[in-house]
Amino acid sequence: MNRAGFIIIGLALCLVAAEAVADVVAVVSAKSPVTTTLSKSQVVDIFLGKASRFPDGSQAVPIDQVEGSAARDEFYLKFSGKSPAQLKAHWSKIIFTGRGQPPREVSNSIEVKKFLNENPNAIGYIEQSAVDGSVKVLLSQ
Amino acid sequence: MSYKLTPVALIAMALYASGTCAEETGTPMFSFSGFGTLGLVHSSEDKADFTSSYFKPNGAGYSHGWSADVDSLIGGQVTANLTPQLSAILQVISEQNYDTTYRPHVEWANIKYQFTPDISIRAGRVVLPAYLVSDYRKVGYTNPWVRPPIEVYRLIPISNSDGIDASYRVRVGELINTMWGSYGKSESRHPAGGAVKAKSLWGLSNTVEYGPLTARIAYLNANVTVESVNALFDAFRLFGPEGIAMADKYDFANKLFSFLALGASYDPGSWFIMGEWGSVESRSVGGKAAAWYVSGGYRLGNVTPYVTYAQINPDNLSDPGLNVSTLPPSLAGPATSLNTALNSLLSSKPSQRTVSVGGRWDFTKNTAFKLQYDHTRIEAGSTGILINTQPGFQLGGKINMFSATVDFVF
Repeated sequence: MNRAGFIIIGLALCLVAAEAVADVVAVVSAKSPVTTTLSKSQVVDIFLGKASRFPDGSQAVPIDQVEGSAARDEFYLKFSGKSPAQLKAHWSKIIFTGRGQPPREVSNSIEVKKFLNENPNAIGYIEQSAVDGSVKVLLSQ
Repeated sequence: MSYKLTPVALIAMALYASGTCAEETGTPMFSFSGFGTLGLVHSSEDKADFTSSYFKPNGAGYSHGWSADVDSLIGGQVTANLTPQLSAILQVISEQNYDTTYRPHVEWANIKYQFTPDISIRAGRVVLPAYLVSDYRKVGYTNPWVRPPIEVYRLIPISNSDGIDASYRVRVGELINTMWGSYGKSESRHPAGGAVKAKSLWGLSNTVEYGPLTARIAYLNANVTVESVNALFDAFRLFGPEGIAMADKYDFANKLFSFLALGASYDPGSWFIMGEWGSVESRSVGGKAAAWYVSGGYRLGNVTPYVTYAQINPDNLSDPGLNVSTLPPSLAGPATSLNTALNSLLSSKPSQRTVSVGGRWDFTKNTAFKLQYDHTRIEAGSTGILINTQPGFQLGGKINMFSATVDFVF
């Protein structure tokens, strides 16, 4: 095989690897009273400020990862179809009429799990690889 | 002036009364946000000005070859979360005012009480939600275009109301329905002199959101006075029953004004299409007018090309006026002048159609660059949306406009 072939295969592997790392799932704390799985739009509505409760009626507090993080970009793109710029525009619409503020941010999936552990009514998203016994997966993409 | 400060005073009182932060929510007590637009516009018509608002005194064309006044603005906002239920907001905007200054004005200043996450009331200066993008029509970053389609957005040039409003949101499965109602008043200074006043200003709207689909209906009603035109009609009243009848038909003194709008947008992420239709009616020189637009765009990574078609159709653009032939020569001269002035007002009602092509480039975080080309065909007998018409300006005709903006939020 020539050099170009190796490069193409190498690039393809990189892409596959990037995909696997960036796979995100929506999670709640293992202690959360929420038991049902949520649809994509139910999850998205909570993060976009359109819903403040889980389908069972309990309060839902979304927790974001920081702007620019791969998990955040992947979550919004896959769950809502929004790019980082579209997400910024969405929140600007809400902020500049006083209808709300975006979710609190933490720096990575470990911090999300820590926050969920302390806040049983919170909902977050983490990389698939970060899922452990402390969280329940609501929806995987 | 003191009236303008009232909402601010209310907020100051609330802040004072509340003392400290609502710790348990974890949200900061104060947050500051800002937005702005730097824009330049060129118009091919050099005997009149194009501008973006009914309340701006000049723009691109006659006054400036390239005008920065049409779209440029900067806004800042402080939000105070006093308790989990009670919040206050103050938004101040600096843009070209009726008197050409950039003196900042209070756009919103209100206190909100959130009974539940879905029911809230506000008091103070609140948004007047006539349109789909009323809530953020001045935040260029949130919109695909350089400016909302002017044919439709000119129907209701005022953007806020001093009073109260309430909103109620219901969720049925994946459908979100939001009802809104408001009552208040509004007063804005106009470049032609005097104020535009809306009293007993009430409105209702209903918005349905279902996934990427948003559909909306809104109705507004007010008693409107446009002070700058009424001296002319006081003069008409001196001409007996015929003059009084004309004045009653055309003056803009406490006239019942109504507005109905329908709008929808579909935005699944990689593309969007939206459209709005609006109609105003009053027994005044403003008369009736209907306008609509359709706009669509496709997102190619960070670049979003879009195209918009818009048009506005008013009722009469002229009137025979007083019957000069029956008047003695000493009155015929003044009557002819009044007729000319009336027809000049009527022909300043926009009647036009515009095709716009443009693109938005999200070239860096929180900042977008936009280019837009507008081709407008003004119908015969109308000045279109243009103001400051100069000797030699022809009613009707075609204009081309080129706009560039940088929109940002911070």
